[in-house]
Amino acid sequence: MSAFRRTISNVLAVAYKETALLRHDRTLVQNVFLQPAIMLLVFGYALSFRPTNVRWAVLDRSESTASRALVAEIGASGYFEPPRRVESYGEARRLLREGSVTAVLVVPSDLRRRMERGRPEVQLLLDGTDPMTAARVSGYVTQIASHVGLRSDPGLRDRGGTSPATRTGPEAGVDLRQSFRFNPTLRDLDFYLSAMAGYLLTNLCLSAAALSLVAEKENGTYEQLLAQPTRPIEVVVGKLLPNVAVSYLSLGLATIGAGFFYGFWPRGNMLLLLLVTLPFVLATLSIGAFVSTLARTSAQAIFIAVFFIMPSFVLSGSMLPYELMPHGVRELGGLFPLRWFQVAARRVIVRGASLSEVAVPILVLVAIFCVLLAAIRRMMKPRLG
Amino acid sequence: MSFRRLWILMRREALATLRDPFTISILVAVPLMALLLFSSILSTEVTGLPLGVLDLSDGPTSRRIVRELAAGGNFAPTRWSSRPAIESALRSGDLGAAIVLPPDLERRRGARGEGSAAPQVELIYDGGEAVLAANAEAYLKSLVLAAVGRATREETPVVVVPPTSGDRSRAPDVAAGGDVVPAEGPAGRAAAAAGPAPRPRGSGAGGIRVVPRALFNPTLDGRPFMVAGTFGFVLSFAATLIIAVSVVNERFAGTFEQLQVTPATSIEILLGKVLPIGAVFSVDVVLMMLVAGWLYGVWPAGSALFFVLLSVFYMVVSLSLGMLISATSATAAEAVSKTVLLSTPLIQLSGFAFPVRNMSTPFRWFAELIPATHYIRMSRAIYLRGEGPLTLLPEIAIIAAMGLGLGALALRAIGRRT
Repeated sequence: MSAFRRTISNVLAVAYKETALLRHDRTLVQNVFLQPAIMLLVFGYALSFRPTNVRWAVLDRSESTASRALVAEIGASGYFEPPRRVESYGEARRLLREGSVTAVLVVPSDLRRRMERGRPEVQLLLDGTDPMTAARVSGYVTQIASHVGLRSDPGLRDRGGTSPATRTGPEAGVDLRQSFRFNPTLRDLDFYLSAMAGYLLTNLCLSAAALSLVAEKENGTYEQLLAQPTRPIEVVVGKLLPNVAVSYLSLGLATIGAGFFYGFWPRGNMLLLLLVTLPFVLATLSIGAFVSTLARTSAQAIFIAVFFIMPSFVLSGSMLPYELMPHGVRELGGLFPLRWFQVAARRVIVRGASLSEVAVPILVLVAIFCVLLAAIRRMMKPRLG
Repeated sequence: MSFRRLWILMRREALATLRDPFTISILVAVPLMALLLFSSILSTEVTGLPLGVLDLSDGPTSRRIVRELAAGGNFAPTRWSSRPAIESALRSGDLGAAIVLPPDLERRRGARGEGSAAPQVELIYDGGEAVLAANAEAYLKSLVLAAVGRATREETPVVVVPPTSGDRSRAPDVAAGGDVVPAEGPAGRAAAAAGPAPRPRGSGAGGIRVVPRALFNPTLDGRPFMVAGTFGFVLSFAATLIIAVSVVNERFAGTFEQLQVTPATSIEILLGKVLPIGAVFSVDVVLMMLVAGWLYGVWPAGSALFFVLLSVFYMVVSLSLGMLISATSATAAEAVSKTVLLSTPLIQLSGFAFPVRNMSTPFRWFAELIPATHYIRMSRAIYLRGEGPLTLLPEIAIIAAMGLGLGALALRAIGRRT
């Protein structure tokens, strides 16, 4: 029997034993069913940077038709709650300071006169606490306001004012048309559902693998394991293999769930998605196993794993686009397998990319996996003391 | 409750913690790492986004527009020769956005009379990156309108000074003529980050110009927001996990059962664990405040003392939750999977990064049930808006009520023999 075949046979034997154990694992049900269910709900209904239910107030010193039209238009956009009326700047500032409103629209008393002169202006006071929301609310209001006068003028209306989100009028010298590929209405839902698989698998693989070897250390069976005729690396790979199957099960459920409940099916080739998942799952599992070789108690393993999970969510760009992060942080995120997986998964799921377009992330993930495997092998060299 | 017994329990906990270098380094490293990593991740300013240019006119105007787009540093324009090439680059993620300049840009520029159709410039974004696309839209649209506005107003063809980045800052002067690059300073930054700039006036076409002005954070910097939120992350997540694992470890070693059979009551066991770890986290809070202040210049706008007191108060609540998790888990593995399962949605729903108000109604209610939501909200109110204890009283009351509930549950769980 060749060495290679012996390796395969050893790995499969360990995998078989681990599968038998896994079947009795209480956390399996949680990982495979509960976690995807919770994530589907949270990612589908809760995560969004698009401001909705915005609370705002109006300080209207002009009481003109134009100001009333502006307020009505803003209300009709659907992003805002009915406005509160305030009588003074002091009151406006107080509401902003308390956080009871996000924005206050201040209409000057001479709005009508300014309009006749052709330069009407209003002020928008924003609560800058949350910059993302402030910026977007300001964008909505600016956009809506720029069309208010146009509505009353039928001649211009059909040229510029019909669809504020995608067109501007000809005044600027050009007719600007905008479109969003792959996600025409720019739903945040697509962005987060396409990242969900990455979150799910990171949680699952790390928490499963981080405890794999440390438990043997705590039970005192680690030395026995090293003394077996199977090589340590074969044991590790054998231990990780059943989790690959669990990962695919979980991924399948999440994908079907997203399609079924939100109508969000992967646009690209399903097989390609499965192919991208393999090196990612292996890389993440081997990070867990590496943590397990480092830690002396399961408590330590947990800490390291959890404090690896959190930054990888944040820095990988699955939560916030990494393109907006400063250099240094952006590159640091490249060390996390999740970064490359989310890039590849989004390409396949949202953009329907082909194999050549996700080749780079796949190769990086394979490289990460190989480096980690070598590191684990080194760490597991039987040593005395 | 005997204070002597409590003191002994606290000493025991402190000694056990100090003895273990791993725990100590976790206690100091995690808060500082979190602060350094999270503080810079939220930004609304697009920099160096790859922008594909399909220039069908290839005249002085279009070249000038492209130069102006490159000058600001927000976009990195590259020239492409065909539409399919651009589409494929968008799909593979090589481009974040694209602009198509029409062939008639030049011709129309010279001879455009009243009523003739304006040349059609097309902007295409990669909607797959929805958050990025929304931010890019705001910048690109106003930059293009500004550049086109300037280019088309020039009487002579563009032999004039090549635009530099200085061009952008000069923009406000031209604003009277209908320029769309937002003014500098607070309002300008907000408008630039926000979107479509105001329309040019003068034709009597209508439309109202909005002058935005952001209070409390005039430059719309993401840092104070994230720094204030990171306190919530550390005190909720790290604190809960550390105490949960510490108790599970004791269970594993059998020392927790020994504690249960001593004369010490449940409340003494609870406080004997919570107070020493709480003290370490109080030091962490002060340390984080100093690091955020020195490194990023982010100091609380309100009272620092009030903030520390509030944090200590919240920490006790959060540690009670940790005790509850650990007292109800049999093994370390169970405590982990419980914490991991709980933590992801908790972090996402607490408003740490995603505003609670954007969520759908059931989730908004659910978010209100999480103590971290209230703490993070208060932390931002103090750090950014400088609020005092009086206006925050309702939030404090909510946390106190939750603390009592969690504490009672934790006490019951500790008292239970397994």
